[in-house]
Amino acid sequence: MFDVELLIKQSRAYLAFGEQIRRFTEQFPSDPQPTDWDTALRQHFDRFKAMVAQSSEDSNLNPDLAQLWTLTLESWQQAASSLGISAIASRAGPSADAWQVYQQILGEYFELLRQSAMTALDLMEKRLRDRAVAGEAAGSLRELFNLWVDCNEETYGRMLRGAEYSELSGRLLNALLGCRASGETTP
Amino acid sequence: MIGLTSERIAEELQAFQAKLAQGAHTLSGLGEIEVGVSPREAVYQEDKLTLYRYRPRTEKPHPVPLLIVYALVNRPYMMDLQEDRSMIRGLLDAGLDVYLIDWGYPDAADRELGLTDYIHRYIDHCVDVLRERCGQDAINLLGVCQGGTLSLCFSSLYPEKIRNLVTMVTPVDFHTPDNLLTHLIRHVDVDLLVNTLGNLPGQLLNFTFLSLSPFRLAGQKYVDLTDIFDDAQALRNFLRMEKWIFDSPDQAGEAFRQFAKDFFQQNKLIKGEVNIGDRRVNLGNIVMPVLNVYAAQDHLVPPAASKALAECCGSRDYSEYSFQGGHIGIYVSSRAQREVPLAVAAWLLAR
Repeated sequence: MFDVELLIKQSRAYLAFGEQIRRFTEQFPSDPQPTDWDTALRQHFDRFKAMVAQSSEDSNLNPDLAQLWTLTLESWQQAASSLGISAIASRAGPSADAWQVYQQILGEYFELLRQSAMTALDLMEKRLRDRAVAGEAAGSLRELFNLWVDCNEETYGRMLRGAEYSELSGRLLNALLGCRASGETTP
Repeated sequence: MIGLTSERIAEELQAFQAKLAQGAHTLSGLGEIEVGVSPREAVYQEDKLTLYRYRPRTEKPHPVPLLIVYALVNRPYMMDLQEDRSMIRGLLDAGLDVYLIDWGYPDAADRELGLTDYIHRYIDHCVDVLRERCGQDAINLLGVCQGGTLSLCFSSLYPEKIRNLVTMVTPVDFHTPDNLLTHLIRHVDVDLLVNTLGNLPGQLLNFTFLSLSPFRLAGQKYVDLTDIFDDAQALRNFLRMEKWIFDSPDQAGEAFRQFAKDFFQQNKLIKGEVNIGDRRVNLGNIVMPVLNVYAAQDHLVPPAASKALAECCGSRDYSEYSFQGGHIGIYVSSRAQREVPLAVAAWLLAR
């Protein structure tokens, strides 16, 4: 049946996104000079990227905002849980090595996703700038959110199709299975 | 300029929250979401498999039965999701006598089931049941997605039992450059996977499919859902799809092992190197009429992966039908309802 949790999480993420955009628009009088806007847009996206970077280091910092770009990772963690590998004991012995290998590869995977999210913000900034030059304005917050989704799908899609992702996602699953095979799990 | 004021955004966010509250109320009042709407009866069972016959919707249905072989992945009610989105209903309306194999939900007891069991035993038994039941030497077969690949194998091994073959969004060449699933499984140690887990958990498959487009499939979709919170019918349609997406049976271990290695990783089908049991699959043995239906915007089974069949099957009566849509749209979109069952039925009835 329908998982209401998914709806709630993504709604919160959308609200966090809206709050980011609202803060950006709050800085301006009704008709700012183009150069002011240009500078502010750059500064805002720099802050946005800094927050994404921070949320990768501390997931409690802004979990709703982090939810925007950690969808794949969270989905992966759920899949890993379904294999009974959610609670892996970090006990000594040979099996601890398998766990360490998995954690290291998970870190690489996380970094690849984070880079993709950063590139998506660069792309969104560029698209907004192009729109401004063309005299086009967004009509709603949802339109901006959809632009953000498009930019993420574009950068994520490029990453997904790359050899690095194919190799890394394979290693990630193999490492997870390695933990399970070495019995390094708790029920 | 972004063109939005802080106040305007705050209003939009407030309206969104109000819709969410309303949605919680609407969702709680919807009750059970039903899928699989056309009346049917079980005519054969074996292990977890059930062979269904759908109640004909014409007075005198075509004497040659049509057997639908769905994929082992996901559930076959996608073919009969709701009254106005049912490929099966469309085929029945066109005068066909429609049967479908429901594979059920494999569990730990099924981990040793291999493709040999699925093809030489399950499909073969179902085909024989229908041949006897309908008094026909050969029946019509419609294979969907992975079920199409299994149908190709079966038709190659038992060509005398199949009168016409229809494949729908079916991978044949697994190594076309745009095949994302092959790309993702390329570096997976399939033996380690099956040896460790036994069956492949459905949730792992869900992850794979969602990871192809996570921002749309796991993010934007739920934000957009708020737009239909005041429309109970649209909400039910959404929930039916949602149910299907997450209703992923585990995959029997040995069958998955062979399919992942021989088909995805080594592309043996098109090379003529697949063995099912001790018999070699030669697509050149497929000499019956073939209709190959593919979706032009398919992100899971790219058109080129399906169209490769033209070069390797032995049929002199080979046709293709290109549907302008995607892998899911070919079952449930309005256009699919208008076009696909009629095209399939017309092709079958002419043979």
